[in-house]
Amino acid sequence: MLLEVRDLHVEFRTRDGVAKAVNGVSYGVDAGETLAVLGESGSGKSVTAQTIMGILDTPPGKVTGGQILFEGRDLLTLKEEERRKVRGAGMAMIFQDALSSLNPVLTVGDQLGEMFTVHRGMSRKDARAKAVELMDRVRIPGARERVRQYPHQFSGGMRQRIMIAMAIALEPRLVIADEPTTALDVTVQAQVMDLLAELRREYRMGLILITHDLGVVADVADRIAVMYAGRIVETAPVHDIYKAPAHPYTRGLLDSIPRLDQKGRQLYAIKGLPPSLTRIPPGCAFHPRCPMARDVCRTDVPPLYEVTDAPSERGSACHFWRECLHG
Amino acid sequence: MAEPILEVRGLVKHYPLTTGILFKKQVGAVKAVDGVDFHLDRGETLGIVGESGCGKSTVAKMLVNLERPTAGEIRYKGEDITRLSGRALKAVRRNIQMVFQDPYTSLNPRMTVGDIIGEAYEIHPEAAPKGDRRARVRELLDVVGLNPEYINRYPHQFSGGQRQRIGIARGLALRPEIIVADEPVSALDVSVQAQVINLMGRLQDEFDLSYLFIAHDLSIVRHISDRVGVMYLGRIVETGRDAEIYDHPTHPYTQALLSAVPVPDPEARERRERIILTGDVPSPTNIPSGCRFRTRCWKARERCALEVPALAVPAEFRYARGPAAHDSACHFAEEKRVVPPAEEGAGPVQGPSPGEGPFAEGEGPSAGGPGASEGEEPGTVGPRRRGAHREDGEGGADGG
Repeated sequence: MLLEVRDLHVEFRTRDGVAKAVNGVSYGVDAGETLAVLGESGSGKSVTAQTIMGILDTPPGKVTGGQILFEGRDLLTLKEEERRKVRGAGMAMIFQDALSSLNPVLTVGDQLGEMFTVHRGMSRKDARAKAVELMDRVRIPGARERVRQYPHQFSGGMRQRIMIAMAIALEPRLVIADEPTTALDVTVQAQVMDLLAELRREYRMGLILITHDLGVVADVADRIAVMYAGRIVETAPVHDIYKAPAHPYTRGLLDSIPRLDQKGRQLYAIKGLPPSLTRIPPGCAFHPRCPMARDVCRTDVPPLYEVTDAPSERGSACHFWRECLHG
Repeated sequence: MAEPILEVRGLVKHYPLTTGILFKKQVGAVKAVDGVDFHLDRGETLGIVGESGCGKSTVAKMLVNLERPTAGEIRYKGEDITRLSGRALKAVRRNIQMVFQDPYTSLNPRMTVGDIIGEAYEIHPEAAPKGDRRARVRELLDVVGLNPEYINRYPHQFSGGQRQRIGIARGLALRPEIIVADEPVSALDVSVQAQVINLMGRLQDEFDLSYLFIAHDLSIVRHISDRVGVMYLGRIVETGRDAEIYDHPTHPYTQALLSAVPVPDPEARERRERIILTGDVPSPTNIPSGCRFRTRCWKARERCALEVPALAVPAEFRYARGPAAHDSACHFAEEKRVVPPAEEGAGPVQGPSPGEGPFAEGEGPSAGGPGASEGEEPGTVGPRRRGAHREDGEGGADGG
């Protein structure tokens, strides 16, 4: 396995007390595989990614337990200097908002070239040539001229391509994309997702796609991990989860989105709101919103049960997963 | 058919681009809206879809008179409201209200919920007698599924979905006939979106409202709309009933747009054809001649650069009565199904039929007494004092 996160715990100190953002998350990605991490705001999906990348703000954040094994090495025990080497060459990240992630006072050529001067010790001239090559690679028209332009001179879709170019510059084995297309229009989103999928195949990269969009997930992912209140509540191959979810939260999400291919009836609405991370409900964190909740759900935290009825490898953190799967 | 409640003809909004400090000279214009026609019937929902910069929000602003049109007419019950001013305008504006996109910036943080919703009565005192206003506001809070006891709370004490309910209550305060909703759910989480969409559907029946629903999310627009207009670069390029547009689109832009929408069904990956457009939307200061979509269109020919296609039923469909016979501004319109039909029983997403299983309960107007309805789970996160910092904790934890 390329990357394996084991029982990760992350907390934040806030004015209101300790916010438990990540509470025992485990997942893994193989080379060439796409794992989608699905969740709403506050589910801990981005915090997990930041911890993997080693870009978590500490304080207020603090890793309180777990392991992150990247090619067998536990990243959490590495010194900052070694970690920096892993970042860039080993793994890279694509952020949602390209405009605020790029440096506005440097040309895109300088920013792309920096990857090669810093990590590979190339001369400025060679690095510039590499930058042009990369921009061609992500299909930015007129790369030779545009390499001298600044981020604000590019459209949103083109800026996101530059971010992707930067991420793949050193041909990392793992790319983490955090809502890479959320800020883009649908037609541009399709272009960018296409490009990402193509690059993943070509370089056999592992891809972690963090998103709240069930449509995007269905289009590109191999496996899904659904997060809620800092935990993984369900994990399964993408085809299985859409056909028959084994957790009521996943099921609620799938039922609550309008469909393009049919006229809507009343949408199912998950009642209530996601919990505050400083006051996660006891037992199953989803129980106050769950239509299937019973007494045991209010007291016992469900482990990630193995869904044994399924032909593929699946997990569900619901005491009554069998009922949900078949109900 | 009865006269439409709202009719828009040739609506144009150009923002001038000027140079010079002392002697301003116009050197061009941002053609945000460049000739839009549509009508809205009583009690129906017209959805307007389009990508960013297509002018859909500018249309919304002109309808509620937040922007003055450069040209064109907006007829409310036959009367052109762009020519009105003073008292007559005020009377009309009472009947056309707006719900905004961002529930965080569209509510004044220094005003209580009661004042935000009740402010409408200060401006239109005839709508409710003075002594009656607080009671009216409480009633409205109840209608949108919030606890009437929260009347003295401030916006920051509510979650995003609850704030959007406040925005909707404010829109309803004057009992308007038309609600213009500009991306009302795009700032909300998926599970909360459904609550607000269902609420809007219920209110439409309850108050006999006509909606102009503007959004970029094509799935949501289909869900809520009776008719749909697709906008591109300041114009409507195709319009029709929802099934005509979604299942029988004839304009290449609509087809590309629909084919690009990710469908939450992994099986559809193989079944679907993707039309990936090249390039970006041209700048609205420099709109292509002829058909404005031709620079990105795979069907463009010489004629497209010379002749502006009219928004009408294309000749090839005019005599064939069928779903493809709807207005489409393309010289070479042809029907092309890009959204594969949903397979019956393909999954839970189909939605169980009512009254079956735990997920069938949905939500209804009879969700119980005040505070007991959908968005308000007294046990989870009510906007009490400690709930006030909820967003902070969450924001900090999510790390941006």
